[in-house]
Order: sequence, then structure tokens, then C-alpha cells
Amino acid sequence: MAESYVKPGNQERGWNDPPQFSYGLQAQAGGPRRNLLTRRAPLPPEEAPPGARPDLTSTPAAPTAPPPRALGPPPLGPISPALRADGGRPSPVSCPEESGPQESALPATTVLAPLREALAACRPTVQKQVCDDIGRRLTVLEDAWAQGKLSAPVRKRMSLLVQELQQQHWDAADEIHRSLMVDHVNEVSQWLVGVKRLIAETRSLPALEPAVVMDGSAEAGPGQEEPQGQERGCGL
Amino acid sequence: MATYLEFIQQNEERDGVRFSWNVWPSSRLEATRMVVPLACLLTPLKERLDLPPVQYEPVLCSRSTCKAVLNPLCQVDYRAKLWACNFCFQRNQFPPAYAGISDINQPAELMPQFSTIEYIVQRGPQTPLIFLYVVDTCLEEEDLQALKESLQMSLSLLPADALVGLITFGRMVQVHELSCEGISKSYVFRGTKDLTAKQIQDMLGLLRPAVPIQQGRPLQTPEQPAISSRFLQPVHKIDMNLTDLLGELQRDPWPVTQGKRPLRSTGVALSIAVGLLEGTFPNTGARIMLFTGGPPTQGPGMVVGDELKTPIRSWHDIEKDNARFMKKATKYYETLANRTAASGHCIDIYACALDQTGLLEMKCCANLTGGHMVMGDSFNTSLFKQTFQRVFNKGFNGEFRMAFGATLDVKTSRELKIAGAIGPCISLNAKGPCVSENELGTGGTSQWKICSLDPSTTLAIYFEVVNQHNAPIPQGGRGAVQFVTQYQHSSMQKRIRVTTIARNWADAQTQLQHIEAAFDQEAAAVLMARLGVYRAESEEGPDVLRWLDRQLIRLCQKFGQYNKDDPNSFRLSESFSLYPQFMFHLRRSPFLQVFNNSPDESSYYRHHFARQDLTQSLIMIQPILYAYSFHGPPEPVLLDSSSILPDRILLMDTFFQIVIYLGETIAQWQKAGYQDMPEYENFKHLLQAPLDDAQEILQTRFPMPRYIHTEHGGSQARFLLSKVNPSQTHNNLYAWGQESGAPILTDDVSLQVFMDHLKKLAVSSAS
Repeated sequence: MAESYVKPGNQERGWNDPPQFSYGLQAQAGGPRRNLLTRRAPLPPEEAPPGARPDLTSTPAAPTAPPPRALGPPPLGPISPALRADGGRPSPVSCPEESGPQESALPATTVLAPLREALAACRPTVQKQVCDDIGRRLTVLEDAWAQGKLSAPVRKRMSLLVQELQQQHWDAADEIHRSLMVDHVNEVSQWLVGVKRLIAETRSLPALEPAVVMDGSAEAGPGQEEPQGQERGCGL
Repeated sequence: MATYLEFIQQNEERDGVRFSWNVWPSSRLEATRMVVPLACLLTPLKERLDLPPVQYEPVLCSRSTCKAVLNPLCQVDYRAKLWACNFCFQRNQFPPAYAGISDINQPAELMPQFSTIEYIVQRGPQTPLIFLYVVDTCLEEEDLQALKESLQMSLSLLPADALVGLITFGRMVQVHELSCEGISKSYVFRGTKDLTAKQIQDMLGLLRPAVPIQQGRPLQTPEQPAISSRFLQPVHKIDMNLTDLLGELQRDPWPVTQGKRPLRSTGVALSIAVGLLEGTFPNTGARIMLFTGGPPTQGPGMVVGDELKTPIRSWHDIEKDNARFMKKATKYYETLANRTAASGHCIDIYACALDQTGLLEMKCCANLTGGHMVMGDSFNTSLFKQTFQRVFNKGFNGEFRMAFGATLDVKTSRELKIAGAIGPCISLNAKGPCVSENELGTGGTSQWKICSLDPSTTLAIYFEVVNQHNAPIPQGGRGAVQFVTQYQHSSMQKRIRVTTIARNWADAQTQLQHIEAAFDQEAAAVLMARLGVYRAESEEGPDVLRWLDRQLIRLCQKFGQYNKDDPNSFRLSESFSLYPQFMFHLRRSPFLQVFNNSPDESSYYRHHFARQDLTQSLIMIQPILYAYSFHGPPEPVLLDSSSILPDRILLMDTFFQIVIYLGETIAQWQKAGYQDMPEYENFKHLLQAPLDDAQEILQTRFPMPRYIHTEHGGSQARFLLSKVNPSQTHNNLYAWGQESGAPILTDDVSLQVFMDHLKKLAVSSAS
């Protein structure tokens, strides 16, 4: 459900700054590794004189004459399957979700109405001050959205988050919140914490009022999370 | 029978242990003649997917000086319900709960496959983890903004019930009261005055409930954090207010005149953080996280004055005894680090600045407490941001990879004693019959405290064989070691991991070939390197190199095959063949060479070397080099200048840097744009393959390495050229024009020259 992309590092502030991985890619990285680069080349036979050491065997027809001035083209040929073991991996170029025209038209209310509804459901049990604070942050979100300050990926993932929230997939909603926080902290830091709190408060409401459940198909309890791959990188 | 390589690998995967010797010389004299000490690398919390913890207490040996844990090596009398301790031979009754056991109904800890087992025990109150942010505000606007965002982001990554607190500092130190009332209040301290823990607690009003203590009531337990709650609050309660508070943080308001450094009270800020936790949450998992953008410039712990015209100390100054503040500052931070470790807390240092920030003086804060040390150029870099995120990474099982307050207790058979440990730990001064008088690393104890650790944290443990010469091989033919690690899991549970291993004894006079074949040269190289780096912290560089050389020569004399005074006849068996090469690269490494590194950089590199597991440590000693070409799949190649060929792309991993280097022809092809032509798609893929592999390393490594993409003739090619063995230099010209590599402009000796000298010295009858 999270974006998978790699952005270049900040070369202006740090020399040789490494690329930045999106939350989705970082979270995947825990899995088994495809290609452990930990082997070392065996030593060449002792007798070889220094200088003429290794690799003359592994590079067929290593030229002994100086290379020709005019550079020939690289060899043509099929792609070595060993080099191609990377099917489906995102390439290290920036490819955040670009906004399709239909997405940018997404009205703020589709996200905000359910959030406000959830907040209203919390009011009877949750401290007034906390609810007011959440409410204030939802207003900040609304304003930012209305003024077009939010990027397409943020808007898109917020609508996903709301869907998960409505279906009471708390863990999934929380996970989207985390991915937003990690990938887009500068856009969302002010108000997302309110949504985070709202997720937590809604989750701990004593009895789930059926009114909150807009989508009748919700049968997932807390802790249940579906692996979803519907939003993968820039293919959208 | 499995080979020793397989045996070694299986043991590492199952027990997280790698021994230098896997068959042990049976007498003290023979053991010292082996040159490389009997020692092991231990990864106490190595991630084991197939190891579900058991939910009961371990059974201990009843002898009060032993207390070893029941394990598969113990002899069991199922009928009498007795077991004999394999360390002290005490006979013990099984506890009543074990009444039903029999040889077909064994508890897990007696089964051979559970040489490593983990217990979850119910002990004491469960306390939430604590994260105390100590934030420098003498930063540039851009850096402060980036840091604030990272801190706000971290609130989403912390465990929801964790306690969090905030201290900021510049010229003054502010301890922020966290309340949900929306009014921010803070206590302000001067940055120049050193305060005792009691004064700090007094000024913060943490001592008021001391009254009932005087009346003879028990100490307030951490379960009622009523007072400290003003400064430490659960994340899930305070996240909104703290987000605002962080968002409103301003740069230090005190004016900094031209030619001056900002006044930065790092020493007092850390002291307050330590004092605050020491008084309120002793012996519970807590991280003090220091974020700093420059050196401490005032008060206790200052490292440099505020005059910019006086630069911060260099290695040159230190050698000339011209580093004014170094000794005093180091002492100050050592005292703080020891206090922190005593209360079981840890200190992380995230230092981001272009110049040095005083890591040399502050290093013990992280080294003694198991905290992280991260060095970057700016807080607004991917290097810092992602490294910081990864502190909160979760493992396969969805649990945080951090553990706290561990004690490691080592028990040995009678023929073995414990000489010491090297790693992110402090001694617990547990004397006992199995403690050796000869110290290697932090010795004189059989127990160490590791305040913070993760599944890759690795300690080196050194042993001494004490069996007398010509005494028979000890009873049973095997020696044993037990590692008992008690720790606070990130889920707040108390857990105990027990690993019990045994190895065969052998008589070195008659069975040397067995001992030799069971030599683990990779483990030995890392264990010797840790000893070398440990010495380098207190001794002069050349002395350490001489010591390492002497050990290497002695090892070659002992295990090489040669005719006296005939260097050409010298051979090493396969189990030793790579060892000299490791030593060659270690001598050139930044862990032992300070040339071209600042004192801070040296401290940083050594910090990481002293805690990583074997694989990562070896990468640090001898970087990995892979070649990508049209001639076949990517292959590892020698770390040698002869591997730098025009039609190759090289990928080098030094742990701290990932370098991709395009050979001359490849670079020209790329400039010509062949990768964009559809008929040369294979070239495009060739260019992409090392990038993908590099990405995979970058995705998991902690801390995030620097990433260098360069080509033949590029200025950054120096990162590769300075690491490869200079087998071709401007001095051996005959290699020129042969296209068999790239000459390195250096006067450093090559591996070949090094080996020639080594052989000469090893076979010499004079030595």
C-alpha cells in the first residue's frame, strides 16, 4: 500500500549522500536478501609474478596492445540473465506517484467527512481538549487541501487511510499514517499527528458503533492487516 | 562428515558464536603457542526465526558459585530425577514441575537442537521504554528544520506506550515540561555550571517525594512515575503537543558575533539528561538521544573554545600534546558514561556537521552504554534521516530490534578461564573461579553489562586455557562455555537467552593437524583486529602495528610449512591461507591508520568496528569488490589494482562507503549514450546491475553508508584506489601499457611485497 521509490540524496548538504528510500521499500528490506555480496575472490596461485596477477583468464582476449584510439561499440547480444535478476524492482530514479487529473480533483470532503464523523464518535468518551486538538488539526488539513498545498501522493494515501479507518483496519490505517509521516513529513507533520491520534482513539472506543462502519463488509478486527499491493510506484 | 566450513556456519546460525579455534589445545603452554588466543565472537541476540521462546524459568545449578543453566550437555538421571552440572559436576534435583520427564519426554532445554534457548520470565514490574531527546539548537535554519521534522516523524515510529522527553540546549539548557494543557513551560539551566545528580533532581523538583523514604518507606517504584511525568510522558498522550513544541523550536537566540562559534553547552545538557533518568527510572530501558551540530564550546565537557581562529584539535595537536581541552573533556564524558551505564541507560550521539563535533571526547558515552554513534554532514541529508529511521526498525517478527539493560554472564569448564571482552559493554566486576588474572580487553570479570543492544551487536570474548602441560586431556574430551544473557525485550518482557557450546580438546603435540584444520581464520582476523583496535585507543599507532606484525610472523612460523631459510618453500594450509591478507588490509585500514582521518572520524570508525558481527567486521577490514562485465555474471574479484579494468564496472563495499566505479571503456560507452539505443539494451542492463545490488546493501545497512558513483579518472575514484592492493604502482613500470589493471600512485607496500617479507621472516632461523 505504500509507495516504492528511491530519491537521490541531498548532494548539496552532504557529500556523497546516499539515495533516500521510501517507507515502503524500507519496510520490505527486512526480508531475505536476493543477492548477498559477501564473497571474496580466491587468491591466485602463489607463483604468479606480481603485476601479471589475476584475471587474465577471466577476461577473454585481454588486449596486450594499447587500446585503439577509436572506441568501438559495446558488444551486442542477449541480456545476460544473471544481470537481469531484478524483475520488478524500482530503479533508483525518482518516480513518486504523479497525479492523474482525476486524482487532483478528489474533493477534500471525501477524506474529511469520515474523519470528522470518527471524531464525533469519540467525543462522548474522549477528553474534550484532545478532541478539540484533533479538530483543530483536521481544520489545518482541510485548509492545506483546499489551498492545493498537498501533493497528489499525500491526498491519495489519505483517502486510502480513510477507507481503512472506515473498515476498522486499524493496523493498516496506522501503517499508512506511518508511511506518510516518513515519506512526506514536511507536508504532513502539523496535522497528521491528529489523524494518528484519531486512529488510536477510535480503535479504543469501547463499543464500536455501527454508524461508524460505513462499509458493511468490514469484518476485520484489530491486528488484522491485509497485504495489499494495489499501489505500487509510478505505474498508476 | 561435514566440512569445518559448514560446521562453523551452522554454529554461527544456531548459536551466534564463532570461535577462533574449533578444536582446543589442551594445555596452557600449547595454547599460548597457537599465537591467536582462544576466543569467540558472540552475537547474544542473533535473530532466530525458528526459535520461539519458552515461557518458564530456567533451571539453575544449585551450587552458589556456579548457577549454570540446565542444558543439553548435562548428564541426566531420569529415574532419580537428577542432573549433573557439566561445569561444576554438582548433582542437582529437578524442580517439582519436572516430575514427568523421561528420556522420551524431555524439556526443550535438554534437546541437542536447543543449544540456544530463550526464556520469557516474569520478573519485576514492566516499565515502558524511555526516549529522551537532547537537541542542539545552535544549528543553521535548514538543519534545524530538517531535524525538527525527523523528530516529529520519530513520534510515529516509537512504541505507542514509550515515554518521551525533550531537552534543548545552546548557551542555556532547557528541560521542557510536557503537559497536555497546551501551555509550554521549561526549566532553564546555565550551560557553564556542572551540577551533581542530586542538584539536578532538586532543581527539577524530582526530590520532593524523598520525604516518605526518610520515613522508612520503600523507594518509589517506576510504576508510579507521577513526578517525572512532567518531563516524560507516554507518546500516545503527548504526541500532538510535542509535535507543536518541536515545530516551534527556534534557533538559539543568543547572538553569535563574527569569528566566534556559538556557545554550546553539550556537557551540561547531557549531564542533566543523565541525572533526570538516573533519579527517576534506574534500571529500565532508556535512550538518551543527543542531536548535535557542532562541538561543545562552554562549560564542563567543552572541547574547543568559541574563537573560530583556534581550530578544533587534530591528530597532530594530540601527538604534540597540544589539545588543551581533550583530557578534561574526555574525563568528564567518561564519568557521565559510567553513571549512565550504572543505571542501565544508553546514550546515542547523532552528530551532523562538516567540521568535527567532539566525538573523540564523547565517544565513551556511546561505546560504554551500547548507544549509537552517527556522523553526518547535515541533518538535512538522507544519510542522517534514514539512519535515524532505522533506529526504530522492526525485525521479521514485527518487534523492535532494540533491547535494553542486558547482562552477559559467561561460565566455563574448569580448564578454561575468562580473560575479557571487547564490545559495547562495561564490566560488572564479578570475580569468580573462572576469571583469569590475565586481561584481554575489559577483564577481571565473568559478567558484563550491555545497556543497549540489537540482533547484530557482537562482543569478542577472550579465554585462557589453564590446564597444565602434560596433564591428560580433560574428562569427557570436551570443554564447554555457557553464555547467559538477561535482557529487557522491546516488548518490555524480561528474557533470558542461554547458549551452551562445547568443543573437543586435542593434544597439540600429537594432534596439531586437527587443531589446525579447525582454525576459523575469519573469526581469528576479527578477534585479533579487535585486540589491535582496543590497544590503538591507548597506545601509539606504530606499536600496535608492530605487535600485529609480530603475531602474524609467529603464527606463520608455527603453522607454515617450509624449509628453514628458504622463503620460496613457504606454504600455508587452506585454513590459514586468507589470514595474512586480512592482516595486510587491517594494517592499512582507518581503524589503525589515522592518516587522512580526523580524530572524530577515527573514533567513529572504531566505534562501529567494535560492535558489528563477523561478516560486517570483515567487510570493514577487507572491503568486498565485485566486477560486472559482458563476460559473465557478477563475480567477486581481488581487492587489487589489477582488478580495475576498462571494460568492467566495479562495486566496492567498505561498510561505510558503497562505491560504483565505471572502467574507462564503460564510461566512454556511457558518454556516447549506447545505453539509450534499443539494440544495446544489454549495456543498459549492465549499467543497472551494480546499482540494483548497491541499493540492496543501502536498504539494510546501519548506519547508512555514503554512496559514491564515479568512473575512471574521476576524482572520487580515490575511494577505490586507496583501498585496493597497490600491486601496480609507478615504481614497477613494466606493468604499464599491459592493460592488466591501473597503477596506483603510492609508495605503500603491496600485498606481494608484504608476503615476501613475511615469508622471509617466518622461515628465518634467526628469529
